[in-house]
Amino acid sequence: MSGGARRVLEAWRLGMVKYGDALQLQERLVADRKAGRVGDLVLSLQHPPTYTLGKRREKAERNLLAPEAELRALGAEIHRTERGGDVTFHGPRQAVLYPILSLRPLGLGARRYVEGLESTMIQIAALHGVTARPGDPGETGVWVGDRKIGAIGVRISSGFTWHGLAFNIDPDLGYFEHIVPCGIAGKGVTSLRREVRDGVELPGDEVIHDQLVRCLGRTLGFTDVEFRDDSECGDMIAAAAATQS
Amino acid sequence: MAMAASSRLLWASRAAAYLRISTFPRAFSTGMCLSPSPPCRRGSYSTRFALLNSVPSFGFQDHLGDVVYVELPEVGISVSQGKNFGAVESVKATSDINSPVSGEVIEVNEKLSEEPGLVNASPYDKGWIIKVKLSDSGELSSLMDEEKYSKFCEEEDNH
Repeated sequence: MSGGARRVLEAWRLGMVKYGDALQLQERLVADRKAGRVGDLVLSLQHPPTYTLGKRREKAERNLLAPEAELRALGAEIHRTERGGDVTFHGPRQAVLYPILSLRPLGLGARRYVEGLESTMIQIAALHGVTARPGDPGETGVWVGDRKIGAIGVRISSGFTWHGLAFNIDPDLGYFEHIVPCGIAGKGVTSLRREVRDGVELPGDEVIHDQLVRCLGRTLGFTDVEFRDDSECGDMIAAAAATQS
Repeated sequence: MAMAASSRLLWASRAAAYLRISTFPRAFSTGMCLSPSPPCRRGSYSTRFALLNSVPSFGFQDHLGDVVYVELPEVGISVSQGKNFGAVESVKATSDINSPVSGEVIEVNEKLSEEPGLVNASPYDKGWIIKVKLSDSGELSSLMDEEKYSKFCEEEDNH
């Protein structure tokens, strides 16, 4: 990276987006990124209550501790993905970041990229007085003790990234009781709210989302982060859809 | 020397015609590296069939940990040079894999459903991914050879 060169990360604040819609949007944006129609960007959003099941279906379904009907009755959506990973949960008050990046110009290999995502969540936890650490070998995500506070699920396609990270600010942890999260039995799930010291006030979710985004930008070597809000993104999403068809 | 080389090729293509991958001693195996990019070739190869292995390229092996799932294509589908045909997943990340050659998938390694770790443990042998009947053997010459590929991996590893 030459000294003085500007490297901009665009951050789209999308609010609440259904899992399936976010997936479609990412697919279009990855194609756009590959074609050079957009620069590096990160989607910053939350999902309504959603359980995602990966392709290793048998195993994933053993990790669903309640029947699907029961989960739907709780108001959760169940989404089957093309990826292999085990079952996981996304919901309100959990910050989700989906970076759509080209790794090569950033000088990042897959490993350092994943480490960058872990480091981002660890730094933001630290910002609020919580000491977190990366997972043990063979475990992904970010932990406080033996409780998981952040998850990582990354997809790399010819050096372009999508999917990303999910960081628990203060989601309803009851939803996690119905699954063995990521197939790792015997380990609990936690949130920033649970882990901060008594009396510590957390800022609003939007603030924490922005903190995560700025930290991600710094950690991965960007010089600037430019935020776009929902309304502006709507146009870009429509434009992306138009060029796709 | 020349005799040995041509009989190796003959042997390879005969064996390939019987789809007996497991009978290939490593020295004779058609080997094509699969990596996120760029693709390369190693070993001798028949000009009709290619056996695609996933090599310890940057991002697959030590870096992203054990492979826990391999997304395999269906037998009979076509693959194109440079196009995605499946994915390799570790605990930390899922990487799409692109085919270095064009042709028809004539066999996939079903063992990988039960033992995805073979991709790490035995990348040049038991961890093969798909077998392709080449539609254009001319593509082989555009692939990196092993020496250039190792150098490339070294440079990438520094990332």
